[in-house]
Parts: sequence; structure tokens; C-alpha cells
Amino acid sequence: MLYCIGLGLSDEKDITLKGLEIVRRAERVYLEAYTSILMVSREKLEEFYGREVIIADRELVESDSDVILKDANSTDIAFLVVGDPFGATTHLDLLLRARSLRIPVKTIHNASIMNAVGACGLQLYNFGQTVSMVFFTETWKPSSFYDKIAENARIGLHTLVLLDIKVKEQSEENLARGRKIYEPPRYMTVAQCASQMLTIEEIRQEGVYNKDSLAIGIARLGSDDQTFAVGTLEDLTTADLGPPLHSLVLVGKVHDMEMDFIREFAVDSAKFDAMFPKNI
Amino acid sequence: MVNFTVDEIHGLMNNRRNIRNMSVIAHVDHGKSTLSDSLVAAAGIIAAAKAGDQRYMDTRKDEQERGITIKSTAISLHADIPKEDLADIKEIQEYNVKAEKEKKDKIALESNDFLINLIDSPGHVDFSSEVTAALRVTDGALVVVDVVEGASVQTETVLRQALSERIKPVLCINKVDRTLLELQKTPEEIFISFRDNIEKINVIIATYQDKTLGQDWQVSPEKGNVAFAAALQGWAFTIRSFATRYAQKFGVNKEKMMERLWGDSYFNPFTKKWTKNDKHDGKPLNRAFNQFIMDPITKIFKEVMEDKLEGEKGILATVEKLGVKLTSEERVLKQKPLLKTIMRKFLPAADAILEMMVIHLPSPQNAQAYRAELLYEGPSDDESCNGIRECDPAAPLMLYVSKMVPTSERGRFYAFGRVFSGTAKSGLKVRIQGPNYEPGKKEDLFIKAIQRTVLMMGRQAEQIESVPAGNIVGLVGIDQFLVKSGTLATSETAHNLKVMKFSVSPVVQRAVEVKNGSDLPKLVEGLKRLAKSDPCVLITTSESGEHVVAGAGELHLEICLNDLGEFAGIPLKISDPVVQYRETVTETPRDERQPPGPDGLHPPIYALSKSPNKHNRIYLHAAPLDEELSVAIDAGKVSAKDDVKTRARVLADDYGWDVTEARKIWAFGPDTNGPNMVVDTTKAVQYLNEIKDSVVSGFQWASKEGPLCEEPMRSIRFNIMDVTLHADAIHRGGGQVIPTARRVMYAALLMAKPNLMEPTYLVEIQVPETAMGGVYSILTRKNGQVFHEEQRPGTPLFTIKAYLPVRESFGFTTDLRAATSGQAFPQLVFDHWQAVELGNALDPTSNIFTKVIQPARKRKGLKENIPDVNEYYDKL
Repeated sequence: MLYCIGLGLSDEKDITLKGLEIVRRAERVYLEAYTSILMVSREKLEEFYGREVIIADRELVESDSDVILKDANSTDIAFLVVGDPFGATTHLDLLLRARSLRIPVKTIHNASIMNAVGACGLQLYNFGQTVSMVFFTETWKPSSFYDKIAENARIGLHTLVLLDIKVKEQSEENLARGRKIYEPPRYMTVAQCASQMLTIEEIRQEGVYNKDSLAIGIARLGSDDQTFAVGTLEDLTTADLGPPLHSLVLVGKVHDMEMDFIREFAVDSAKFDAMFPKNI
Repeated sequence: MVNFTVDEIHGLMNNRRNIRNMSVIAHVDHGKSTLSDSLVAAAGIIAAAKAGDQRYMDTRKDEQERGITIKSTAISLHADIPKEDLADIKEIQEYNVKAEKEKKDKIALESNDFLINLIDSPGHVDFSSEVTAALRVTDGALVVVDVVEGASVQTETVLRQALSERIKPVLCINKVDRTLLELQKTPEEIFISFRDNIEKINVIIATYQDKTLGQDWQVSPEKGNVAFAAALQGWAFTIRSFATRYAQKFGVNKEKMMERLWGDSYFNPFTKKWTKNDKHDGKPLNRAFNQFIMDPITKIFKEVMEDKLEGEKGILATVEKLGVKLTSEERVLKQKPLLKTIMRKFLPAADAILEMMVIHLPSPQNAQAYRAELLYEGPSDDESCNGIRECDPAAPLMLYVSKMVPTSERGRFYAFGRVFSGTAKSGLKVRIQGPNYEPGKKEDLFIKAIQRTVLMMGRQAEQIESVPAGNIVGLVGIDQFLVKSGTLATSETAHNLKVMKFSVSPVVQRAVEVKNGSDLPKLVEGLKRLAKSDPCVLITTSESGEHVVAGAGELHLEICLNDLGEFAGIPLKISDPVVQYRETVTETPRDERQPPGPDGLHPPIYALSKSPNKHNRIYLHAAPLDEELSVAIDAGKVSAKDDVKTRARVLADDYGWDVTEARKIWAFGPDTNGPNMVVDTTKAVQYLNEIKDSVVSGFQWASKEGPLCEEPMRSIRFNIMDVTLHADAIHRGGGQVIPTARRVMYAALLMAKPNLMEPTYLVEIQVPETAMGGVYSILTRKNGQVFHEEQRPGTPLFTIKAYLPVRESFGFTTDLRAATSGQAFPQLVFDHWQAVELGNALDPTSNIFTKVIQPARKRKGLKENIPDVNEYYDKL
């Protein structure tokens, strides 16, 4: 049996009891560690689980999935995914491969950014399509997210923007030469995301949002020091939310209750109050 | 330097109408360097007595030993012409004619001092890239042709190149002494061989001259832009030289006299009249050219060689009348030395040639006006382009570095180039833009100060404080930032000056290894210096750590490897020469189970690859690209930098492309300018442009190293048919798409009947009839294909032209010499790429696989067999 186990958002103790039981008895335990990361080290996980954890990087999952699935017909393999296995990142390809090998699969769910984002005070019902923001390069500035935000904004929905992380990525040159040399890990910050969004607005000029659009920066959601920063996109371009991981929500139509809740996180309360006077 | 100082030159440099930048070009051994030396001698830099014996322009030891020029060398000369001749200068005349029409002020030159920057370049085809580098910095060319051997394939190659750069030619027919001494020809026979030679050159000019220019660049003796010379003896003349002498005698002006002294013009001694009729009362008349020019020269030759020296009728008295004064030491000379002395005093080579250049070649002020748009990549109305057009020393700097010249300091180079606009001086902060620089970006760009500016003087370099527009310059402190060539500018908006296109390609290569492992760093350093010092040599390092040096031919490679040995200073192991191949496709795979489309063809079979995360899929197929189009791409006639719409029109009109598809070329490759393309033929795929960059990167990578044996691709067009993408940008980044694009292109290549192309030489052989049998037997043995054979009129020499695969060319010259007792002289010049016809590349028992692909794979440390298509093709 292949178990896909969600690890939750923050540290080693976020795993569910059911998940933990499987981890302790599984033949091999893989940790998918390139689409998202936990805020603790592998050693800490191993110590808590009381067993060895194999790091599954992009190459292993995408190119050598047979290694992971080896003997999964007769034994239990645990595949740990940060957040929820069907949350932001799905591993449909791995599941499809398992299916074609007639390996049974079971999923143990957990919290994901896709639901925990509600902690900022916006109702989950009012979120539209989720988009990702990649690191721009000189020549590569994909703006397809802009169209999706436009669709969300048209009917007043919030947009959750997931931010790129680059763990163990090759530079284009090394990739082209087939050299397995990896760049140091990089995590996008809320500030960088906000300024990239404004760059695209400047290029597209369709007025989907602007520098005064309201947004929420979120950092280390689910951990003890989770942080929210509410402000205009322009405010957020200079906001420092500390260590990774970050996400951003572009706020759509806001309910009064929501407004009262997020007021608390304003980076500049005076400005916020001026823009959105309190309901008395 | 006796009568010539750097300060004097600096003064001349500002006088832009009084500058001539010119190169001397010709076939090997037609006497360029000897002629250049006599010009240098006249400028007073080396003693006049030694001109002709000493190869001043050949600065390297191997050049002097081999007696050939390997590197182009620049030197500045000083010329003055009589003040009254200033009005004869062609560009001033033309300017004034135009000024009169447009009612503008006329101009006249004030000074009769001229600065001539002369570049002597190699004649051997293997070093054509040096010629290209020389042409770029000059405006005029002195084409030297051996009167006996005539214009050869190399003359045509370099002249064609000069014309394509809008460089104006003048002609010098050399070795006239040979027709008199060796071949004992009559004046009329000499006239005919002159005329034939000139005609041949004019055919080349007419064929390749830029017609849009609206100038007539044909050469003809009566215009005065053809000189006749015996460089080794140090004499030369133009029709103008004699017209000046005779004009007064006949009481007509010089122009009229010049017309009379060439062609079908006769002086009838009975009527004392000039006529076009070659007979008088049925008796033939003597052609004026013969009577007034060749007869006196022939007479001097004959009488000196027959020792008819003293007395009333002796030659010494005769030449005295011609104004030749001999010293008492000279009067005791005999035979050739005497002949040389007399002729040199009678018709000094430098006078005639320098005068011809001053009068007929353009000044930078004139030339840059019509060369600017051709030289500059940017818009033709920005400040940099205006600066070039006006040749304005006060405009922003535009300087092209065309090559690197080694300094006396180990490992350092002068950057050699031409100031087209502005003024180069030490301390000036410049933008150093390499060949890959694009305006507004930071790649291949350095901003540094010029340390020093120098004047290149053959063997030496003299420091000079500044060099204004229109001049040739050497720069110190630039070599670290440019590999071989590039643009220096001060304006931030400056585009590049166009990258030079070489007529030769590095098609022969040899691998280099160190004998002792610890010497490796020295080898790497030596390779770096070699790459800089030669405009054409290509140095690559394979994944397995093999260092490869590629050159234009056997000789070029030999010289490069000698240099490398010297640069590195360590014992080297050098492999046998190896040819560079190209991987190509011959047929689009078609699905015959499907009904044919509107074009009557079955739909192509597409290759498919999935990205590592399987969410992105690319479907494309490979099709052969017209070889003619590939040649146009190689020549830069069709390029990635062209305007998309104009290029699409050209592709549609000249190469039968579909215009819509022609507008959707994503890239050329390898190296963004090679003869392969990736074309978007998809229909409405969302977000396709977001993966364009990644697909192009994958294409550049794939086209550089194909799947057959990691040789570059050629003449392949990849048509992207469809693409499936993940909904979110983060899952379709470079890491996912680049390797996928490469794999799908490999699969497509393997599915489209792949083959190799090999470089082919055009061989031109001059050989006496008696030795022709030997030539044919060697050509047959080496798989050469003869396509032309012709006897040179009036000589026992035959010219044979053939195609020869470069793979068969190693040792060809040696074998040919052996088989003809050294009487055959071959010239090998790269001509075209040709399909290798040795069977199916994918069949492991075919000749092409066992003889070419397998050895290449082995050498590169690859798996012995070509990967199966399924390694790249993903099933649905």
C-alpha cells in the first residue's frame, strides 16, 4: 500500500495520529521536499517519528518514481507531503503510476494553506482560483496569473497567491549542460510578490488591480509566530515578514466582518482607517 | 623612423578628407607583401635599398621562414601629391558636381599631405578570416593580381568580401617583369593579357558590387585606377603616370591623354593624328599603349639584359634623357641589379600606387557616409549612427575592434580596430559590447576605461594621445573584456557594429592534450591566448575534458597549434585531424494511414515528450530546411535580428515559405544565429508564449549537440504542432520545459531519416599540362569531383577545379606535390556542406556509422550506439 500522508503546515507535531502510526510501521518513508518545506529539519522529524526518512527531491519523484514504488504491492510505503496531499501540490503522476502498477493507494489528509488561509479572516467561500507566482527573470515574466486574478476580481473573489520556492534547482546553464549543480535555495517573499504583481499590471495595464489594491501578506502560517500584514500592494512591496514561507492574498469584495477582523493586521493603521472607516 | 613622427601623424589624423584606410588583398604569392614593403620603403620607415628583399610586413618568424603572410599587419604611411593634382581627387570632384547641382558650397582640399593606413593581409585561403578583419577597418582595397596566373578563387573570395562590405577596389597587376624576362612577350601580347586580367576582375566587381549604392566601381586603366607593377623590382605605373609626361608634348590635357593611351587608340605617324582605326593604308598601326608605354619599357629591359649599356645609343644615355640619374656606383651595375635600379628610378612603385590610392580610394569622411547603415545594427537616425555617417570626432564614440594583436608582454593583446565616430583616448570610459550584447541588457557588456591608445606600426606600436574618427587604432586594456572582436561605444543607446562574417569556417579540428597532467593549467591559459590571437580559430572543451582546436584548414590549424605550443610552453599531445560534421534530417516522417491533407501530403508524424512532472507535453516534428536558405543564414542574409515581417516576406518570396508560419519563427540555433529554426505552428494554445523562452533554450542546447554524435545540427526546421501545459506557471518553468524541448527535438530528428553533412572544399589547382595525369589520379583516389578545366591563354598552365570532401583532404597537398614532382599548386577553400553518402546513419552496419559516427562517439566518450528514439519519445 502507498500511503500519501499530509504533514500539515508547521512542525513535526502537525502530523495526524493516523499518519504517525503508519509512518512508524511503514517499510520506507519518503519526504517530498521540493514543492514546499516544513519549518523543521529532517533530523527533528526522524527523531520524533523514531525512524529514518528519505528525502525525495524533484528528480526522484519525477524521474525515478519506480524507486519509490518498489515493493509497494507487498509492503507499506509512506510518502509524506507537506500540507495536504491534495492541497496546493498534487502528485497525480505518482498516483497514476501506482494505479498502473496496481498498487493500492490511501490518503491521510491534513491542513493545507488552501484551507488554513482562512486564519487571516477572509471566508474560504469567497476565494477564487488559486495562482502561483514564479521568480521572474530578465526574459521570463509569465503573466497568466493576471488573467486568473481578473476572473476572480470580476465576481469579487479573493485570490490566494502561492509563492515560488526554489529548492535544489539547476541554473539554466547547468540544466542545458546536464550538470547536476544546484543553486542555493530561494524563497519568494511577500514584498517580491507584490512588486512583481505591480510590474505585470504596469505591462498589461488592464486595471485588474493597482498599487492601492488591498492585500494580505501571510508568513509561516500554522506556526507559533505566524504573521499577517494587511496593506495596499504598494505597502507590501516594502513589508518585511521575516523567514519563509510566505503567501499573499489579493483581497476581493470584503464583508464587514472580514474587514473588522483584518483591520487588526494593518501595517499602517491610520492609513487603513482612512481608507476603510470603522463601522460604528 | 627618419622623416615621420607620431606627432606628425596625429596632426594628419584630424584631416579626415586626407586619410585613406586601405587593405592589400590578393591570392597567396601574387606579391602583396612585397608591394606593401615598397610602399613602406617610400614612406621612409625602412631604408629604400632593402625594399623588395625584406618582408617588413611579415612580423612573425614563421611568416619570414615560410615566405607567406599569416597575420594581417597595419602601418601608417605618409604620402604627398603635387598640389595641382588635388583637384583630380575623385571624391572631391564628385562632391563638387553634386554640390553644384544642389547649389551648395564646393570644397577643396587645403593640404596635399595624406595619411594612408595600410593593412597587408594574408593571401592563403586558410587565413581569410584575417582578411575579413582587415577589410572591416578599411574603406578601400588594393587588389593585387599576378599577370601570369590571373585572378584565382582566392582573389574572387576576398574581392567579393570587400565588395559586400562596400569597400572600393583599385587594381594592381603585378609581376609585369615576368612577362618581359621569363615569357619574352611582345608588347601587344602583354596588352592583351592586361586587358583580359582587368576584364576578369571587372566581371567579379559587376557580379558582387552592391547595386543599391549607385556608384560605378569598375576599374579601367584610362581612369587611372589600374596600376601595372613589378613589385620585386620596385617599379609601377598607371596610365596617368605616362599621361602626365606626354600631355604637354601633345598639347592636350591629362584626361584626354589618358584615354588615348589605353585600348583601341593609335597615333598615326603618317598623318600625325590620333585615331581609333588600327590600320593606315592597309598597314597595321602600333597601339598607343604599346608605342608610348610598353615599347620604352621593353627596350630598357632588352638592352640592359643584352648589356648594351655605354655609348651614344647605350641604354645609360637613353635613360638619362628620361630623367633617370644614376650615381657612379650604380653605373657599374649590370643585368638585373642595374635593371632594377633604372626602373625604380624611372617609375617608382610607391609614387604610382600612392597616387592612385589618394585619387581613387575614398576618405573615411566619404566612405562612412555610405557604409554607416551597413555597419551599424541600430536605427539609422540615432546619435551613434549619425556620428558614423558624419565621421564626427565630437560625436559619441563608436569603435569596432576587429582582432587582437599580441604585445611584447606575455599574454596581453592590443585590441586592434577602427574609430568610426568620436575620439578614442586614454582614460575614456567606454562600453565594451561583445558580439552577444543587446541594447538595454547587461549581458556581454563591460564598462571600463581605455588604458592607452597606440598607433600600430608593423612590428612596433607607438603611443599616441588620442585617435579621432576615421582612423585605425590599437588599444591597451581592452583585451580582458573581449574574446576576439566587439564594439566600443560611449552612448548608452548604442547598438553593436555588425559582427563580421567570415568566408571560411573552422571545419578541421584536432584534440590537444598535455603530456604531464600537472601542465593542464598552462594548456588552458595557452588556449585562451590562442582564441584571442586568431579571429577564426574555435576552441571548445567537451564534457569529457577534451580540448579541441578547430581551424579553416590544415595549414591554419598547424600555425595555430604552433602558436599554442609557444603560448603554453609545454609538451603537447596532438590528435590526428578530425572533421566537423553536421547532423541533419532528410525527410519529414508522414503517417500514411491518414488521408492526405490539402497539400497532397499525408500529415507528419509528431514526436512527443513529456516534462519530468508529466504535466507538460510538447508535440513537434522535424523537417529539412532548404540548404540554400541555410547558406543565406550562414552569410547573415537571413538572420534572427531581421525585422520579422521583412524576413517573412523574404522567406515566402525566395524560399517558398508560408508567410504566416514565417512570421512565427521562434529562434535560430545553435548560438541564436545558426541554420536551424524552431517554428510555432500551433493553433491557439493558451500561455504558449510563457514557455517560449524555455523551448528556445532547449532548442539552442539540442541544435548545438545532436543525438547522432553530438555534432551541431544543420538545415533542420522544428515545427511545434501542439503543447499541453499545466494550468499554473510554477509547474511549467524552465526546469520542466527545457529538457523536454531538447528531448522531443532529439526524438523528432531520429524519426526524420537523419544523416550527416560534411564540409567540402573547392580545390583549385594550377598545373602544367605534363603533370595533369598526376593531379587526376590523386583527385580520383581522394573522391574529388572535377567540374572545371581550363587552359590559361598563352601559358602551358591548366586550371583545374574540383570538389573535395574535407575528410579526404588531409595530406592532399603533400600527395599532390609528390604525384606531380611539385608542379601542382592546390588552393583549398571551404565551399559548402554536402550530405555524406555512406548509407543510413541509424543502421549499425552502414559505412557512415562504422566509419564516421562510431569513431566520433568513441572519441567523445559517448555510449557506442546512437540512443534509441524511445529514450526521447514518451508514449501517450
